[in-house]
Amino acid sequence: MNSSYKPEDSLSQELPIPEVMPPEKTEYTCDVLVIGCGWAGLNAAVAAKEAGADVLVVDKGIPGYSGLSSFSSSHQWFDSRFGDDLDACLREMTMANEYLANLGWYKEWTKYSEMIYERLTSWGFLTQYPTGADSGHYVDGDWRHDDLRGYREEMMAYDRRTKWVETLDRYKIPYVTRTMICDLIEQDDRIIGAVGFHVPSAAMMTFHAKATVLCMGGGSFKPSGFPTGCDSFDSDWLGYRHGLPIVGKEFDDFHFCTSFAPGNVLSCNSWTYLENIWLCGGDITNERLLPRAQAEAKNLILPRIESATRGVGAYTRTDVQPASGRGSSVSKDPSDPRRGKWTSDLPKGNIYGAAVGMQLHLGSGIWCGIDDLEGKTGLGGLWVAGDGCNGSCVSGGSYLAATGFTSNFCSVQGYLAGKAAGASVSDVSLPTANDRLLEEIKDEIYAPTKLQYGFDPNLARDQLQAIMAPYWVTIVKTERSLTSTLSLIEQFRDEIVPKLIARSPHDLRLCHEMKHKVLCAEMKLRASLERKESRGYHYRADYPFRNDEYLCYLTIVRKDNKMQFQRVELKDEWKGDTTLPYSKRYRTFRFPGENEAMHLENDPSIPSSGWNPSEAFHTEETVKQ
Amino acid sequence: MSVRRIDITKCIGCENCWNICPMDVFRFDYIKKKSIIAYPENCQSCGQCYLHCLGHSLGFSDESTSYAITSTR
Ligand SMILES: Cc1cc2nc3c(=O)[nH]c(=O)nc-3n(C[C@H](O)[C@H](O)[C@H](O)COP(=O)(O)OP(=O)(O)OC[C@H]3O[C@@H](n4cnc5c(N)ncnc54)[C@H](O)[C@@H]3O)c2cc1C
Ligand code: SF4
Ligand code: SF4
Repeated sequence: MNSSYKPEDSLSQELPIPEVMPPEKTEYTCDVLVIGCGWAGLNAAVAAKEAGADVLVVDKGIPGYSGLSSFSSSHQWFDSRFGDDLDACLREMTMANEYLANLGWYKEWTKYSEMIYERLTSWGFLTQYPTGADSGHYVDGDWRHDDLRGYREEMMAYDRRTKWVETLDRYKIPYVTRTMICDLIEQDDRIIGAVGFHVPSAAMMTFHAKATVLCMGGGSFKPSGFPTGCDSFDSDWLGYRHGLPIVGKEFDDFHFCTSFAPGNVLSCNSWTYLENIWLCGGDITNERLLPRAQAEAKNLILPRIESATRGVGAYTRTDVQPASGRGSSVSKDPSDPRRGKWTSDLPKGNIYGAAVGMQLHLGSGIWCGIDDLEGKTGLGGLWVAGDGCNGSCVSGGSYLAATGFTSNFCSVQGYLAGKAAGASVSDVSLPTANDRLLEEIKDEIYAPTKLQYGFDPNLARDQLQAIMAPYWVTIVKTERSLTSTLSLIEQFRDEIVPKLIARSPHDLRLCHEMKHKVLCAEMKLRASLERKESRGYHYRADYPFRNDEYLCYLTIVRKDNKMQFQRVELKDEWKGDTTLPYSKRYRTFRFPGENEAMHLENDPSIPSSGWNPSEAFHTEETVKQ
Repeated sequence: MSVRRIDITKCIGCENCWNICPMDVFRFDYIKKKSIIAYPENCQSCGQCYLHCLGHSLGFSDESTSYAITSTR
């Protein structure tokens, strides 16, 4: 090093990390506590307030910047004024989502989605404004040349991020930020609030509430590269811990699992998240159902299997390439405002799905029962809403018919849960937790700070990713690959998790997040073992075919500290025509190996992969029908 | 990791980065009125701090510093 170098001269020298003071207020009471404030949480909070409740919002980060909601860039709603056909929509969901879509919830969506669109419009979320290309800030799609900051500053009044807090303020709903909820207070079979800690200072935060709504999103094993932000399966953890069923884990991990660089969300997504939210929808008709679903399967499911098992090509490039603007769901009616998505050029790299193990949108989470239409859990005083939190299974086993509707759907779920929670509190008195229970929760929250020696949660994160990222865990599964991975995760659960050490308040958040991720890894593996068939995003190379014996939801419940499975039968009208022969019933796509296992002729009208994974993968275990 | 400091002297103490980062990467020194990139190893590279940095003190890097953890492209 140059001897004249003085660290304090460096332009990049960071100051020492200061200690953060605890917030002035650490104990709260309210009628309705909303935990997490993305699309679901915001709508839940406002609906509960409109129902007359005294509402409080708490978020691990800051509403508008923390979860997935800050990044959604299209918004779809059902609009019969422009010819949307309920029958066609239902058929599409049934077939494209592999006959596992929860049509009860889907119908509920069609009732409320337009109202939600109007609501979000009135709150300023859906204002359309000039694109980067139109305003002159876009140069060539390379973030080094484009004036992204100038664009944001000029369009600041429209920035969707600020609208969360503006809306809470408008409805006079107070919110507590940077507070990670780690446990629910359960007393006499009722949830009476939640406990967590203020992340920067580690101060314990206690919330007593007559009703609680979880809107905490899902999670992923690897948030770097795709913004799953604060979401780390915290609500799955809470639900499982308190004996609620968890559903849909075998389908989790639906984005491509790629990332050439640890950090390129900005370069790959900047224009999409800075420009307006595009209004989408309006192209669902009976004739277009099958081709739409097939096109999605060709884009999303088949290439994922193929590229994962094939590996990189000799000439695969790893740099970011410019891609043209994308359209989607464009309505044919010129008076329909749903014009589809059209952004300034995006430099697209291998980014989507860098979030290994991310929830299938609206597919997994806490299961509330086959007739539930408000997110009411099996525990008194507890509701759930939103992506990865309410396991409403509306996307069934895939996401082929749902693109662009999650932001609207999460808002509908939030609205309904908030309304029900708000209406429930009028004849309930505010409970108080007994001190011993609070002490126990506190001990568990701070356990990682009490260790003398232990494992750094960042080390654990890297190890978990190494275990869960391989394609034989997430993309092409077999009994052997799942069983061997499960034994690694069990070891991780027993040896590493109890010894996660927090040497700072920041670490404490990471320790709890790791604990939740490991639980979800185990659930994912066990659910994948349990579902001995292939369907949607769940591809078992040893069972490469759909098997209608598995036309059910598999839920995981904690019993005697073990994971137990229960099967939930679907309603008959959700199952499609089960009398059709296999080749007619399943026409969206063929899994690799499916034709052979089912003795089917190759049908060129059904997308299939030319790639046979047995070249790369030991499929001698493949079962033939 | 992707957030990075370009020039600490340009930090005008607007607190935006510290207020909005969802991954708890920042701290703030209220005496010196400067942000601190405290935990860059947990940056999810969303770019929100970079875009909101009023002093243009923060930068962004998208170089590959380690190899992809998955086999797909
Ligand atoms: C890059 C990207 C692009 C997308 N594009 C689209 C699109 O074009 N159209 C579309 O419809 N959808 C899109 N989506 C999906 C959509 O954004 C999500 O499905 C939706 O925003 C989920 O909303 P939510 O409210 O359920 O969860 P989230 O927005 O994830 O909110 C969860 C909240 O809970 C908080 N939280 C988590 N854990 C805790 C805890 N322990 N304690 C306290 N708070 C906690 C988080 O901080 C967060 O604020 C996209 C998502 C991403 C990431
Ligand atoms: S890029 Fe995103 S995650 Fe990283 S420091 Fe900035 S705001 Fe935080
Ligand atoms: S956003 Fe920029 S100017 Fe503002 S505190 Fe952070 S580094 Fe400083």
